[in-house]
Amino acid sequence: MAVTKEILTLAVEMGDALLRNGAEVYRAEDTVLHILEAYEIKDFDVYVLSNGIFASADENTEDACSMTRHVPLGKTHLGRIAALNQLSREICSHECSLIDAWTRLEECKNIPVSKISVRIFFCGLGSGSFGYLLGGTLPDAVLSFFIGMLLQVFLIATDHRLDSKFLTNILGSALVTTLSLFALWIGIPIMQDKVIIGAIMPLVPGIALTTSIRDLFNGDYLSGAIHMIDAILTAFCIAIGVGAIITLYRFLPGGISLL
Amino acid sequence: MIIQFLVCFAANISFAVLFSAPKRQLIFCGLTGSVGWLVYLLCKDCGLGLAGCNLVATLTLTLISRIIAALQKHPVTVYLVAGIFPLVPGAGIYYMSYYFIMNETDQCAKWGMDTLKIAGSIVLGIIFGFALPQKLFNKLHSVKLPSVKNVFRGR
Repeated sequence: MAVTKEILTLAVEMGDALLRNGAEVYRAEDTVLHILEAYEIKDFDVYVLSNGIFASADENTEDACSMTRHVPLGKTHLGRIAALNQLSREICSHECSLIDAWTRLEECKNIPVSKISVRIFFCGLGSGSFGYLLGGTLPDAVLSFFIGMLLQVFLIATDHRLDSKFLTNILGSALVTTLSLFALWIGIPIMQDKVIIGAIMPLVPGIALTTSIRDLFNGDYLSGAIHMIDAILTAFCIAIGVGAIITLYRFLPGGISLL
Repeated sequence: MIIQFLVCFAANISFAVLFSAPKRQLIFCGLTGSVGWLVYLLCKDCGLGLAGCNLVATLTLTLISRIIAALQKHPVTVYLVAGIFPLVPGAGIYYMSYYFIMNETDQCAKWGMDTLKIAGSIVLGIIFGFALPQKLFNKLHSVKLPSVKNVFRGR
């Protein structure tokens, strides 16, 4: 009987896809459990971490099987999470057969990310808005807008080339700081701190922080700790990137009078 | 205040797009975040401290996210993630490292403590927000929202 195996593969595959796109641990775990239940598997055990899934089903019967997955921390894609959530809801209410579920799962996994131009524009818009919200003036916001766009260009360009997230964050925040200090240096009247704060917003670990809190709250201490360390290290990297460039700037002629 | 609301709306939608939120939910993502920010500003006007403002704002944000999530039958994360960004202490991180570099230890310590406080109150806000049982929100599943659905059908 290969049925158990197929069901378990589907369930774990869905959990995998959820985690990969940045869902919380409890959501992935719940999804796997509910799918197994929906397809009437009685005896199962599932353990989900923020970067791994362990599951077994029907251990005491002939078609016993178990599965392990390693899921690297990836980019957040809320659209896929929402679609997968919808799919799991349909499976649980028995509106979706096993074969349909596979095709649907593939569809969910392949929901595209937005176009590059769209992402660049919205990254700029976000940066600019935050530059304004956090106390900047209109020129600050406009400058933040353009620097934010350049940051996203940088992030997209280095997406496949830089393996290390730390390096991406350090270089990204260094780039932002360099650009805003350069604008200050050539005499554009801006508050460079607001510009920088606005433009580093896309790098700030808001998601990791939120997810980690929710994991901790649900009792997944290990996963919460993993995300928390991720958030703290990211913040640390941003600080290094900004700090290094400010230090360098002080050695420039006319660069001492900051803030 | 209205300008702040609109700018925050734009900011939240931008981040929702960056994290590829479903297109139909973008409006709600923007809404939750800007309401959270508005609450933050109001609390600040009332003279609440840094931690208090963030706590109340995050709590409101979490509750609104959960209500909308139940109404729209979407995961809470979709709304929460974009909405939390205005409250996350990005400025704190910047000033802390800035004063650290400038060797102004007391300012650095002050901003460091503020950053920790903000992060802590966001944590508490989210925890309180999720402390309410999901059953309460599940009741909203059956609530029909004809007006809202009609508005978005054309999109």
